[in-house]
Amino acid sequence: MSDLQRLREAFRTALDLPADAPVDDLQYQDNEKWDSLAHMSLVAAIEDEFSVMIDTDDVINMSSFAEATRILGKYGVDFNE
Amino acid sequence: MNLFHPGARVIDAATGETLTEDMIEAAAAALASEPGGVVFHPFETTLPSIARYLAAFRLGRPIVLLDPDGDHAALAERFSTTEVHPDLALLLTTSGSTGNPKLVRLSAGAVRTNAEQIASVLGITGESVAVTTLPLFYSYGMSVLNSYLLTGATVVLERTGIMQRDFWTAVNEHGVTSMAFVPSQYEMLRRLRFDPAKYPTLRTLTQAGGRLRAELVTDFAQRMATVGGSLYVMYGQTEAAPRMATLPPDRLAEKAGSVGLALPGGAFAIEDDEVVYRGPNVMMGYADTAADLALGDVQGGALHTGDLGRIDDEGFLFITGRIKRMGKVFGVRINLDDVEKNFPVTAVAGDDKLVVFAEGISDDEARGLRAKIAEWLGTHFSGVVVRSVDALPLLPNGKTDYRALESSL
Repeated sequence: MSDLQRLREAFRTALDLPADAPVDDLQYQDNEKWDSLAHMSLVAAIEDEFSVMIDTDDVINMSSFAEATRILGKYGVDFNE
Repeated sequence: MNLFHPGARVIDAATGETLTEDMIEAAAAALASEPGGVVFHPFETTLPSIARYLAAFRLGRPIVLLDPDGDHAALAERFSTTEVHPDLALLLTTSGSTGNPKLVRLSAGAVRTNAEQIASVLGITGESVAVTTLPLFYSYGMSVLNSYLLTGATVVLERTGIMQRDFWTAVNEHGVTSMAFVPSQYEMLRRLRFDPAKYPTLRTLTQAGGRLRAELVTDFAQRMATVGGSLYVMYGQTEAAPRMATLPPDRLAEKAGSVGLALPGGAFAIEDDEVVYRGPNVMMGYADTAADLALGDVQGGALHTGDLGRIDDEGFLFITGRIKRMGKVFGVRINLDDVEKNFPVTAVAGDDKLVVFAEGISDDEARGLRAKIAEWLGTHFSGVVVRSVDALPLLPNGKTDYRALESSL
């Protein structure tokens, strides 16, 4: 599975979305399931999936799927490979 | 009743707009033109929603606070009436969206008195600034709003929450002095490595909405102490409008585990091990039907909390468990809270069985857990059921939704 697919899966799992749900355009609180509790699960899921420790500032900046890809870039996950 | 002190300010952090007297008057005029009786109010964290809330109080119209994301058609049908008791001001639900919730009937006097009591013990002044951290239809969130508005203080409306940059930007932009959190939010703050030094105006954190584990009480009290601030541990129930006790921060270390002293004008007693609160902020009673909304006070100022507790010689209350959180296995009473303290599970009472839920465990882990719990209880393993769930259902306030778990049995 590509890194992008793995990130999509992490989002779907943490936000309890169907397996084929589109997630690339998701924004925080845009989707009713993405609230603060889900955000904590999401960060934990991403940390586990990519074996990274995300900084506080990055946790609270992660306000969309696109932003998550940008932030993960800082941790060496390259989605353009 | 008017809860809006002339000096009070409500600011929407996203728009910069503030609540005006004209907005409340306009909301009152709109409400007056609608059919009379109970007002069903999906309470959003917005200026128009707060204007309507305050307008209902001014017109003496009882208002039911509801989760704006819920479907309340059945509830509105159940409680729709124009026959209401003249003292009745506010109605709150006792649980989340599941089941057929009872309503808690609160008088204008109880709501106002509790707002004054809270303002007094927390030292809220015209200079204080709160930010919304909880839904306003939830009694803790509502009580923050009430106590700040009544004191002429400032409330900043913020809708994204502590996991987002916008929230923390608003905290500094508006000079927030106090924030109110429930235990699940303290867990998040710990994960975020919350540092109060980043928010120079912040002086007070308050905690209610269930027991915060001792380690986090100490942790956050210390974090606040490093900047000359405080953590207030509090205790309440919706039935008390909702606050009953606060623990003075300077006694927190020596009274570890206590929920504090009764609010001014209130008193605790232990009757048959149960915590009983008496005070001017106790509800008029419950309502199961629309006809109950015409009833007067049936409580006489006394609330049997359903909590087990003890009071020390200085009047500090310690909650030791919950009467209703009892189950039976093979006819033997077991304390569900004790099960949760000893195992990483959420426990509910099944039909003469103990049913525990754990997130994401394998079949093998479930079998092992079942054996350990049964051994600890001294009972046969068939009295214990272990279920793996993806995620525990939560109420809007972040507490475990026990009713949903029970109804899934």
